[in-house]
Amino acid sequence: MTKRRWLVYLVARALAHRKGRTVLLLAVLAMASSLATALGIVSISMGKRVAEEVRKYGANLVIIPDSARLDVGSGGLNFGAVTEPAYLNQQEVEGALARSGLKPGRSFHLRGSLHWKDADILVEGVNFDEIRQLFPWWQIKGGWPAAGEAVVGSDMAARLGLKGGETLELAGPGQSVRVRVSGIVSSGGEEDGLFFLSLPELQKVLGLEGKLTTVRLLVTAEGESLKKRAAALQPLLPKAKVSEVRQIARTSEGLLAKVKLLMVLVTAVVLISAGSSVTGTMSTTVLERGKEIGLMKAMGGGRWEVLLIFSAEAIMLGLFGGGAGYLLGSAVAQFITRAVFATSADFIPWFACVSLGVSLFLALLGSVGPLISVFRLDPVRSLRGE
Amino acid sequence: MLFRILKNSFLKRPKAVFLVFLSITMGAAVATAFLGIAGEVSHKMALELRSYGANILLEPSALEGGGFLREEDLPKIKTVFWKYNITGFTPYLFGVAEFSANGKHERGIVSGTWFNKELVVPGEESTVQGIKVIAPWWDVQGGWPQAADDAVIGAALAKRLGLSVGGQVEATVRGTGQRFRVAGIVTTGGYEEEQVFAPLVTVQSLLRQQGKVSRVLVSALTVPMDAFGRKDPATMSKDEYEKWYCTAYVTSVAKNVEEVMAGSRAKPIWQIASAEGALLKKLNSVMLLLTILALGASATAVSTSLMASMAERSPEIALMKAVGADRFQITAIFVGETLIISLCGGVIGYLLGDQLAELISRTVFNSTIASPLWLFPTAIVSAFVVAVAGSVAPLRRALRIEPVRVLKG
Repeated sequence: MTKRRWLVYLVARALAHRKGRTVLLLAVLAMASSLATALGIVSISMGKRVAEEVRKYGANLVIIPDSARLDVGSGGLNFGAVTEPAYLNQQEVEGALARSGLKPGRSFHLRGSLHWKDADILVEGVNFDEIRQLFPWWQIKGGWPAAGEAVVGSDMAARLGLKGGETLELAGPGQSVRVRVSGIVSSGGEEDGLFFLSLPELQKVLGLEGKLTTVRLLVTAEGESLKKRAAALQPLLPKAKVSEVRQIARTSEGLLAKVKLLMVLVTAVVLISAGSSVTGTMSTTVLERGKEIGLMKAMGGGRWEVLLIFSAEAIMLGLFGGGAGYLLGSAVAQFITRAVFATSADFIPWFACVSLGVSLFLALLGSVGPLISVFRLDPVRSLRGE
Repeated sequence: MLFRILKNSFLKRPKAVFLVFLSITMGAAVATAFLGIAGEVSHKMALELRSYGANILLEPSALEGGGFLREEDLPKIKTVFWKYNITGFTPYLFGVAEFSANGKHERGIVSGTWFNKELVVPGEESTVQGIKVIAPWWDVQGGWPQAADDAVIGAALAKRLGLSVGGQVEATVRGTGQRFRVAGIVTTGGYEEEQVFAPLVTVQSLLRQQGKVSRVLVSALTVPMDAFGRKDPATMSKDEYEKWYCTAYVTSVAKNVEEVMAGSRAKPIWQIASAEGALLKKLNSVMLLLTILALGASATAVSTSLMASMAERSPEIALMKAVGADRFQITAIFVGETLIISLCGGVIGYLLGDQLAELISRTVFNSTIASPLWLFPTAIVSAFVVAVAGSVAPLRRALRIEPVRVLKG
C-alpha cells in the first residue's frame, strides 16, 4: 500500500467510523459557510436592489435649454417661468444620449399654454409610458390616457371644475385639439397644477414639432458619481445645460453607502461569531482524540504525519461542508431576495470559492490549532488515559 | 457533593469548558446585537431618509394664489398629536423682486425663510427649525446668513448678476428697497438656483406682509402606506377613522398639521412619501429575515458545540451510573454545569453584543443606540435554553447505555 493510499484509507475510515461526529461537523461547517454565502450574496444584490428602489425618487439629471431658466419655486412648488421660452431639439438630445453611451431612463417634456373657454391653461406634453417609469409616485384617479386622451392635475381640475370623462376643446396658436380627460393626477408637486397631453399632440398644436423644454434623466449613480456623468454629457449638448438634481442624487448615494456598510458589518459580526462557535466544536472533537494521537505517536508517527492525517480529515470535512454550504446559502439568499425584492438573486458562481474558503479555514483552524497543544502530551500518559 | 463535582469539572477540564463558554458567549452576543439593532434600524433608516426633504406641503386653502398662512400658527406644529414624528419644518414667503448688483438688473423671486431658527414652544423642548434641518442636500458655498440682511443666493442667479460671496445685492419691491449681503451661494439643481433666500422677517417687511407666510414644508417620519391607509378617510366609519388618525400615515400626519394651521391645506408630496415608504418596507423585511437567520445560526452553533462536548463524556456518565447515581442526579450535574456556563456566557455575550450594536450604529448612522433592558434576561435565558436543548439528545443517549459496556471501553 503506498503512503498516499494509506492516508486516504485512514482518513476515510476515521470519518466513517465516527459517523455521528462527522455528520455533526459537516452540519456546522455547512451552516457557517452557507451563512457567509447567503449574507454575501444578499449584500451584493442589496446594493443593486436598493439602487433600483431609490430610483423611485425620480430623475437625477435635468437637461434644459441654455438660454432658458428653470422655473422658480421650492421643493414641490412652482412659481412660474420668468424668461421667454427656449427649446431643445429632440433629435439632438436623442443623438447626444446615444453617443454618450449612457442608458438612462428618460422623459421628454414640452411646456406651453393653450386656450380653453376664456382662460389660458398651462399644458405639458409628455410620453405617458416614460412618465409611468420615471414618475411612479403619480397617483391617478381614473385611468392612464390612451391616444387622444389627457390627464389633469388635481388642483387644476378643482379650479376648472373638470371631471374624468369630460371632453375639452383646447385651442393653440394655429390649430386646436379635442381631448378626453381620462384621469386626475395628484402628486403634491407642480404636476397638480398642470394639464398633461401626449407629447406629439402638443408639439403639433403648438407648432413646435421636434421641440422640447425639459429632458429628465435617471442615471444609475453606482460607481461613478453623478457629477461626472453630468460633466460627460454636457459637451455633447452645446446648446443645453445639464444639471444634477442634488436632492435625489446626493441622498441616494449616501443612503446606498449606509446600507452597504450596514450589511458588511452585520456579515462580519455573524461570521466571526458563527466561526468561533464552529472552531470550538471542531476543537472539542479533536481534543477528545488524545488517546488516538498518543497511539499514533507510540507507533512511531512523527508530528508531521499526525498533522497530515488530521489536516486531511479537516480538508475533507471542509470541502464537503463548503460545497453543501454554498448550495444552502444560495438557496437562502434566493429566498430572501424573492421574499423582499420579488426578483431572483444573481447566481454568483465565485461565491463557491468563498464558501469553500470559509469552511476550509474554520475546519483547519479548529483541528490544527488544538493539535499543537496535544503534541505536547506524553504518548505514554495519554495512552494510559490520564 | 454536587458543588464539588461541578467545581472540579470546571477546574480539571478548562479547555473543553472554555470552548463551550466561547460558543455560548458568541451566540448570546450575536442575538443581543441583532435584536438590539433590528428594532432601531428601521427608525434610523427612516430618519436617514428624511434627508430626502420634506414630505408634506402646507399651502393656503384658497385655490388661486394670494392666500397666506399666519406665522404665529407655526409653533403649533410642534404641539400636534404627531409632534414627535415631525422632524422639521420651514416656512416660505415668496415675492417677485427686481434685483440689481454690479450695474446688472434681473427680475427674480425673493424668498423669506428660516435657516436655522431656534424655536421655543411653551411646554415643549426648544428645537432648531429651518432649511438647514429639512434640506441637508443644499450645497452652500460660503456660509449661512447670520444677520437680518444676509442672504443666500441661487447659483444661476448669482452668475447672471456677477455676484460672489461677500457681494451686495439690492432688492426692490414696489418702490421699497433692501440691500442684502451675499452670505452664501446655493447649488441644488432645482428651483432654488433662481431665488434669493433671506431671513423671513426681512422679507416680510420688504413685501409688506408682516406675520404672513405663503408655504410651509414639513418633514415628518411616517409609516409606509398600506391598503388601509389608502382608503378615503371621508368614507371611513368612526372606529376606522380613529385607527387611521392614530397611525402615522403621511396623509394622517398631513391632516393633523392642517388642523392647527388656520386656512391651510396640507398635501403629501407623493414623490418623496411613496418612494420612502416602499424603500423602508423593503429594508425592514431584509433586517427581519437577517435577524431570523442570525438567531437560527447562533442557536445551531451553540447546540452543536454542546452536543460535541456532551458526546465525549459518555464514559464519565457511565462511571457515575456504576457508582450508583440515578438519572436525576446525573441530569442535575449536567444541567447545573450548563446553567453556570450559560449564565456567564450570557452576561458576557450581552455586554459584548451591546457594544457590537453600539459600534454598528455608530459606524453606520453616527448615533448611539440604547439596547432595551428586556434584552438582558432574554439573552441569558435563551442562552441557557439553547444550550440545554443541545445537550438533551446526547445526555439521553448516554443515560440509556449500559455502564459496563462503556467502562470496558
